[in-house]
Amino acid sequence: MSTGGHSSAHSAPVGLLILAVLCVLLVTTAVRPDASAVAADGPDDGMPVLRRAATAESEVAYSAVRQMTGPEGRTLRVRVINSPGDGVSLSPVGAEETTLMVRSSPALESLDDRLLRMLQDTYAVAEAGTAELAGRRTRVVEAARADGTVAGRFWVDTDTDLLLGRTVYEADGEPAFSVRLTGLLLGETSWPEDEEGDVPWGDDLDGTERARLREEGWPLQEHLAWNLRLVDARSTEHAGHRVVHAIYSDGLSQVSVFTQRGKLDTEHSPALRNGYAGTGTGGSSVTTQHDTIFGGDTGQYQSMWQADGFVFTVLADAPAGLASSAVTALPEPGGAGFWARVQRGLARLGIL
Amino acid sequence: MSREHLGERLSALIDGELGPAEHESALIHLAKCEPCRFEADMMRRLKRRLNGLCEPEPDMDFLGRLTSLSRDAGAAGPPPSDPPIAGFGSGPPLGSSPLLGGLPDGRPSSVPADGGSAPLRPEHVSRPDRRRLGGNRLAHLFPPLPGGRYAVAGLAVATTLIGGAFAAGGEAEEPPVVRPRLSDYAVEHAVTSRHMPVVDARPTATDPPHGPNETTR
Repeated sequence: MSTGGHSSAHSAPVGLLILAVLCVLLVTTAVRPDASAVAADGPDDGMPVLRRAATAESEVAYSAVRQMTGPEGRTLRVRVINSPGDGVSLSPVGAEETTLMVRSSPALESLDDRLLRMLQDTYAVAEAGTAELAGRRTRVVEAARADGTVAGRFWVDTDTDLLLGRTVYEADGEPAFSVRLTGLLLGETSWPEDEEGDVPWGDDLDGTERARLREEGWPLQEHLAWNLRLVDARSTEHAGHRVVHAIYSDGLSQVSVFTQRGKLDTEHSPALRNGYAGTGTGGSSVTTQHDTIFGGDTGQYQSMWQADGFVFTVLADAPAGLASSAVTALPEPGGAGFWARVQRGLARLGIL
Repeated sequence: MSREHLGERLSALIDGELGPAEHESALIHLAKCEPCRFEADMMRRLKRRLNGLCEPEPDMDFLGRLTSLSRDAGAAGPPPSDPPIAGFGSGPPLGSSPLLGGLPDGRPSSVPADGGSAPLRPEHVSRPDRRRLGGNRLAHLFPPLPGGRYAVAGLAVATTLIGGAFAAGGEAEEPPVVRPRLSDYAVEHAVTSRHMPVVDARPTATDPPHGPNETTR
């Protein structure tokens, strides 16, 4: 009997110790769930190189073949013609009739500046020596996460400052997608005079207009994740209804969220086509579900669903993990049930 | 005036109903007239005593019999217009109580009877009656909880909150059915990212034709 009392006398401090250790573990894991989920600090001495590369796009005329490679190795080859002051022409090799002409505009120049700032804010951008790419000498710039892993790598031509290559990496170090310029030809190229070209939607939404839209119930978030910040928002009208295009980026990847009031028709019902809804020829399927994204064979993802009286469409040039975190940060599908309506009402009353 | 007694004006003086001049003259008369002063003193004492009387409490015997009447009436369910049951009538008549009035058929009334009897206060009998009728009948259905009142109050608040949120969460109008123009979205995304879109940018069969009132960049 005395042995039992002795044992219980010892077990109490041991139990308290275990409890204290568990509390410490709980607090430390709650405060910092992921060591890489913070902005990386650094001298960012690679930023001037990238800024010169952005400037070179508006100063150097060239033509080349842009080779885009996705995580599964599928490659898309696009002929690129860059005409400073006019814009850039993109046409798939072998299907030149589907040319996309992007006209130069102040909106795109401003967007480039914000993307570079976002890159500098999120990652430690540093020069990493030189390398040869497609027969040309390049300066290598790396964007590193807070844990030291490389999130992106750039190759900038030492002669022309043109960006010849770019690779974005997943958190595990695997390439998510990469872009290479091959067959570079410098000099003036023919730009079709009668081609008007495309520019971003004209209605630029500043902070005041975004706040007004939020008051009207539009889900227009400033952040989708710690490293996905709103860098641009604009809108247009389709059939008299407003459509908002919000661009989120970490500086390396770009996620477009298109939002419009309404609901999908029965053609997009999950009961059809095994839960998928077609998007037209040439594209992967779009789902009315929320947590699944499609595409990815060239590093581009799509997803579509409806929630809270809005239809969301996400198009992303991003690693799968980043695209998924962007999609799941948006409202979940549904909104028609009793509790969904109660939750919506609590939110409108300011309780949630 | 000083030679005549105050008479009926004495009562008015005690009640403070005389005018200033009459009040002054009455006081002068009282100072000189011993009988009127004695009468005024007696009248003041009487009024003080009357004012000091409390409102009479209902007779406990009456309350007990009234309660038994209500219990029997709630259990058997006779209409209120039925004559009183025999058990109630076997006791002394209600009118025997010196403080209560009553109707000729013996049923209690809140209307005072002639003679200025104190009115019966209905809450004194109806409250315990209601508790007994509802509470006793349902008490066996619920276990005795120490915080029962708080639980009921919390349930009421939660119900109100959920109901209000449900009402506030309703759609002002049914959202329109839309067909997102994925090809337009793909072009817009390609323009801002300057990447060739994977989704075909050409209009498809699911894309409605551009209307005259729409604006695309």
